Amino acid sequence: MANERDEVHPFEGRVDFPYWDGLGRDELLVQRCTGCARWSWPADWRCPRCGSYDLGWEPVEPRGVVYSWVRTHLAFVPAYAELVPYVNVLVELPGADGARLMGLFTGPEEGLEVGSVVTGTFQAPSARTLDLSVLTWSLEVAAA
Amino acid sequence: MKRPTGVAAVGYGATPYYRRGQSPHAERKLLLMAIDEAATMAGIDAAEIDGFVSYGADLEDGPRLTGPLGTKELRWSSLVWGGGGGGSSAAIAQAEAAILSGQAETVVVYRATAESTSGRLSSAVIQGVFGIQYRAHGIDSPAQALGLRTQRILANGVPPSALRAIARASYFHAGNTPHAVGRDVDLTDELYEGSRRIVDPIRLYDSSRENDAAAAIIFTSAERAADLTEKPIHLLASAYGAQGPRWGELDENHEPYTASSQASAARRMWDRTGLGPDDVDAVQLYVNFTGPPVSALVDLGFCTVEDAGEVLTYENLVAPTGALPINTSGGDLAEGFLHGMGNAVEAVRLLRGESYNPVPDAKVCLVSGGPISELSSVSLFGTEPLG
Repeated sequence: MANERDEVHPFEGRVDFPYWDGLGRDELLVQRCTGCARWSWPADWRCPRCGSYDLGWEPVEPRGVVYSWVRTHLAFVPAYAELVPYVNVLVELPGADGARLMGLFTGPEEGLEVGSVVTGTFQAPSARTLDLSVLTWSLEVAAA
Repeated sequence: MKRPTGVAAVGYGATPYYRRGQSPHAERKLLLMAIDEAATMAGIDAAEIDGFVSYGADLEDGPRLTGPLGTKELRWSSLVWGGGGGGSSAAIAQAEAAILSGQAETVVVYRATAESTSGRLSSAVIQGVFGIQYRAHGIDSPAQALGLRTQRILANGVPPSALRAIARASYFHAGNTPHAVGRDVDLTDELYEGSRRIVDPIRLYDSSRENDAAAAIIFTSAERAADLTEKPIHLLASAYGAQGPRWGELDENHEPYTASSQASAARRMWDRTGLGPDDVDAVQLYVNFTGPPVSALVDLGFCTVEDAGEVLTYENLVAPTGALPINTSGGDLAEGFLHGMGNAVEAVRLLRGESYNPVPDAKVCLVSGGPISELSSVSLFGTEPLG
């Protein structure tokens, strides 16, 4: 596997550690600059707008709009092979100035398109998710 | 020493495109053979090459090549940082910088991929782009990331027929190219539409393969090129970079989402040369999948999102009669996939009059590096130097 640019050991040293840590408590946290209040995603060490290194984390409702989506027919990721074909969505969060999160889509697909409203469900860690807590996403009507 | 006034390609070499994992030779040997072929065409001893440039996490670094080549003096060795295939013409830009500055005199630009050394290309080219924000959710391939962008390209109003035309034109040109891996495929609309789905909205025939191969182009000053060959192919301009911040996971969060990264490099290329899309006789596009090159053509100024369906038709994209011939060897889809290096080779081949799909009176050929990448690149070749 290719090395990853944001890799830090131990894991707690990663810039996006609070995000993963929050998901484990059923909380969606997105990085936000304490200095100028700019939402910052993906998480990084320095605010590109004001130059501050003082970046905090704010809770955001796990509800968003499908910005794009794909359905994967090949087992590009061995841990996901048994789910093929599966759908991924890139979800835009209105509650975080449009920050976009990647996620697995679950549930009925009828009506799924760019612009669909989806809600997130907190999932426990598994080998499939690299032992990380994650959000999966479903159409809002189906989740209701 | 007098600084060179320009840079020219004096020779190219390319091995056959083997199926992935099937090369009878190790990766470095493939590359050495490609460099030798280029040196022979250039009329130089390979030991005279004093600069080495590659991109896309190529493992064949310059110093390691000096042994078997018997390099007399190493003066330049560099790899384009980041961007994968987006760096294909950036490597040419680094060679140009080396030669124009006088750092080096004879620079080879190359790419080599063989699974026995580099592993699966789909992993080898990624350079850590797919971090855990992707992999935890089952995303770990260019097909998936570019599928997301292709979905938006279509949602923005580019008709699917434009993507199909790029695929069909590529396979048409491959049909005339004896070494092309896709030479026997008669890609009809029906075959294309019926082909199996890889990552919706990407079909099999929207997708490049993985191949074992190597290719190389030798550059030197325009002055020296004139002494070496009767057919120097002049590098009119090269450029690379991106507009604004872009990298891996940030690419899901920047605007415009479907931007090719070619706009700023293209602007500098047109400014520097005084040329524009109307002056280009053929375009060698990077086509890992058929969506991204549409973004490239928009950002390069060949069409708009609105008229992409009218400009990007099969008839328009094929040589010798189309107004905008693309990928005259079959390109990444149908000649073979060498992470874009084959496209630069074909540009030089075409302008030397050696393409199997000649474009009548072709004088200027554009090479577009991998689009929708965190950095991208362009190079513009001509049969004559700029006036």
